[in-house]
Amino acid sequence: MVDPKHPDSKQSDAIGQSFKPGTRLSMPRTGLATLFTLLSAEGFRLVGPTLRNGAIVFDDIATPADLPVGWTDKQSPGGYRLEKRADQRAFGFVVGPHSWKQYLFPPKETLYQATFDPVAQLWRQSGNAAVGSGNGAGGTAFIGVRACDLAAIRIQDRVFIDGKYVDPAYDNRRKASFIVAVNCLEAGDLCFCDSMETGPEVTTGYDICLTEFDDTFLVQAGSGRGEAMVAQLPVQPASQAEQKDLASGLARCRRQMGRQLDTEDLPGLLFANLDHAQWDRVAQRCLACGNCTMVCPTCFCYSADEVADLGEDPAQRERRWDSCFSQQHSQIHGATFQPTIKDRYRQWLTHKLASWTSQFGTSGCVGCGRCIAWCPVGIDLTEEVAAIKADAETPVPLPAYQPVPTAQAAEPFATLFATIEATVTEVVAETPDVVTLSLVMPRGYQYRPGQFNMLSLPGIGEVPISVSGDRNGIVEHTVHRVGNVSAALSALRPGATLGVRGPYGSAWPLAQTPGRPVTIVAGGIGLAPLRSVMRSLAEQDRTTVARNIDSQWVRLVYGAREPEALLFNRELALWRQNAALRVAVTVDHSTADWTGNVGTVTTLLRRKEMPVDGLYLVCGPEVMMLAVVRLLQTAQIPPENIYLSMERNMKCAAGHCGRCQYGPYFICKDGPVFRYDQVAFLFGRRGF
Amino acid sequence: MAAKGVLPRVGVFKLASCDGCQLTLLDCEDELLLLAEKIEFVHFPEGVSFKASGAAEREGPFDLAIIEGSVSTPEQLQTVREIRRQSRALITIGACATSGGIQALRNFVDDDGVNHEALQKLVYAQPEYIDTLATSTPVSEHVAVDFELRGCPIDKGQLLELISAFIRGRSPAIKNESVCFECKRRGTVCVVVADNTPCLGPVTHAGCGAICPAYRRGCYGCFGPRESAATESLAAQMKNIGQSEPEILRAFRLFTAGAPAFEEESRRHE
Repeated sequence: MVDPKHPDSKQSDAIGQSFKPGTRLSMPRTGLATLFTLLSAEGFRLVGPTLRNGAIVFDDIATPADLPVGWTDKQSPGGYRLEKRADQRAFGFVVGPHSWKQYLFPPKETLYQATFDPVAQLWRQSGNAAVGSGNGAGGTAFIGVRACDLAAIRIQDRVFIDGKYVDPAYDNRRKASFIVAVNCLEAGDLCFCDSMETGPEVTTGYDICLTEFDDTFLVQAGSGRGEAMVAQLPVQPASQAEQKDLASGLARCRRQMGRQLDTEDLPGLLFANLDHAQWDRVAQRCLACGNCTMVCPTCFCYSADEVADLGEDPAQRERRWDSCFSQQHSQIHGATFQPTIKDRYRQWLTHKLASWTSQFGTSGCVGCGRCIAWCPVGIDLTEEVAAIKADAETPVPLPAYQPVPTAQAAEPFATLFATIEATVTEVVAETPDVVTLSLVMPRGYQYRPGQFNMLSLPGIGEVPISVSGDRNGIVEHTVHRVGNVSAALSALRPGATLGVRGPYGSAWPLAQTPGRPVTIVAGGIGLAPLRSVMRSLAEQDRTTVARNIDSQWVRLVYGAREPEALLFNRELALWRQNAALRVAVTVDHSTADWTGNVGTVTTLLRRKEMPVDGLYLVCGPEVMMLAVVRLLQTAQIPPENIYLSMERNMKCAAGHCGRCQYGPYFICKDGPVFRYDQVAFLFGRRGF
Repeated sequence: MAAKGVLPRVGVFKLASCDGCQLTLLDCEDELLLLAEKIEFVHFPEGVSFKASGAAEREGPFDLAIIEGSVSTPEQLQTVREIRRQSRALITIGACATSGGIQALRNFVDDDGVNHEALQKLVYAQPEYIDTLATSTPVSEHVAVDFELRGCPIDKGQLLELISAFIRGRSPAIKNESVCFECKRRGTVCVVVADNTPCLGPVTHAGCGAICPAYRRGCYGCFGPRESAATESLAAQMKNIGQSEPEILRAFRLFTAGAPAFEEESRRHE
């Protein structure tokens, strides 16, 4: 046992010695069984490498005999074979088809359950925190974690627990895990951890680190828990020879790396070469099967669906590993943003090696080589990058990583998926397929115009809806009936309840409106997130401020498909009467009783004054925003004076599920409102 | 959804098929009674005794029509049009109804210069009693279909999910991803990479739960092509691991031979 007062105190017993924390100690091979026994006795479930179906996979193990003793793996692009080793090493292989993410972030998991309260006649959601850790009380000991996989775990930590929102189930499992790492002294043919600077040496984030030799293990504690465990092992100080063997083994391993990846300027390089011919070439081979993402230890995308609730079972929301290689990943009510295989491969590679750096401050690749081995057609990302580099355009700058401040006592981190219950007070039919729901929100609920809430009905689903206004604690959401959830929301009546979480995302730059002309351009349902801005500017008595009416006006240019599709007609009439506002409305297709403008918003906007110092807020279908931005660019409006609200497939709203990615951004947390210069390098480009 | 208190009226129909997919409904066992409380089977010859499903009840309208089987005869063509006319929502179940089924192999015979009549003579002693169309086709080729549930046979869990989603008015949590997604989620070692076994998983629609690879066999493609089925690249891979042209042809020309992506690929290997 470690004596806290005298950590260096020497004891004569082989077991129960204490050494300086972090010291490398020598342990006979039989000590591994002791370690397993100790971990089991502490209540840990042991998970580690074992042989199954022609590969070394991760599974429950009990003794060192369950390890692939005397086996190694021979890997090539699209190929994996087991081979006998000449020695009896237990960790004499690199990485197999499994990674530790299957234990920390299981392939399928219930996120929450809803139960029907017969007294109140409503559905109640149980908090996601109530969902168990799934690992038993004692947690799980991961046996044989390589340096690359440790780096991968730290990368997923950044996604699931190091941001503004915490995934409680992941957090529980992570805290309940005990990591027994292993240094790699041999590299595989597909390894390139050295290029990614994630290995082969285990340096941090472990409880115990082992280095395997023929007769002994080097043992090193990396945490207090690890130290307590090591103190119970049959260890003695490591010999000079063992220390030397470790150093030379690591050096040899670095030289043996079967692959390398030149990471210099890689993020900017990939985004500068989105039209490179190599993307077409790789798309000819890529099956879009998704295997690379499934075996990747860092890929974190997931889908969230309401599942079977026939009869008495509570409604559940379930998440499953998803992948940018599925069509549904980028799909929103009918539109798919990455329809082709080329789009999907490019999304994967640019995310993994480039946009990840902007999102999380690290590459998404740890150099483990799994995606190369387990691609059925053997696509090798190191070769793809090399092919692009060989004939590349100059790198472009990408947005810098914005770290989230670590836990502050004053602002506890929000729990993902926790909803509050809100009651509908009023339902206003705006058009035949659009309604505005007024909801009573809890005291203190605040949002900024442009942000959105996730609205849910247990058993039906959850959708992002931007906040379209608020009055005295009543918050409005304007819902366009396009799918099943929006249809069910549209059918709600006063008194009904629904789940709400939010607000999420970025807001319109209201602080920049005073003292300058403001032009608001909206198309169709796009007026909803801008209505609060209009209200706020309408209420600001701009006439009393010392102002020049010729230079500080507010103009709304609003278009809809047909007169019947115009939103907020009563308010439009009020705004028209407001001297501070200039309101212009147009429709694509007129009807007999329509006496106003006919044509697109762009046609109408072109006829208006477009001052260069003005502020432009634009929201509508992407094709409309694209036309508006082009017109504004022709009018020499600087990109930083233009703001857009974007839409993609938002499911978690916290940047975890990965489905609303737009290059380096998550629309849900970095958007939906962007200053145009932030997205100019991607905006209008197909496949993102 | 039907009005409150009134159960949705469901009709289950069979065209050219083996009955296996309808049987999946009866295989629901535990959930069957629950299902019977939530919907009213107004037409289900396979599941309801003859008296209970009299001719009058075959008249619609139906809130939900579930069709098994392909359109293989002129009579079936009339039937699907009538069912569509009578139904608010129409879903098709199984490889026959969604791709033409194994019987769509006859769609290929004209390639050999044998016309439909000659084929009938070859098979039947008295072909004059046979009244079939020259091709076996999916229901969606003739009428609008609200959801196609894949499989040969379909998966019980997916069928329940589809019916529950219909009852609740939500979108079914049924993915159009590849079989590989399911295979990897269940932790199966890839038979292509580890064993060089030919496998249609990468181009096949998910839904079965990746059963075959879990038993170290390649995927047979029972659920038909997924969207974006990269069959050409997969066929090249199959060739690389030693599959012959006839073997590749047969791999793609099986239960869902008539599905466009698989039909096209199999024709490349004729």
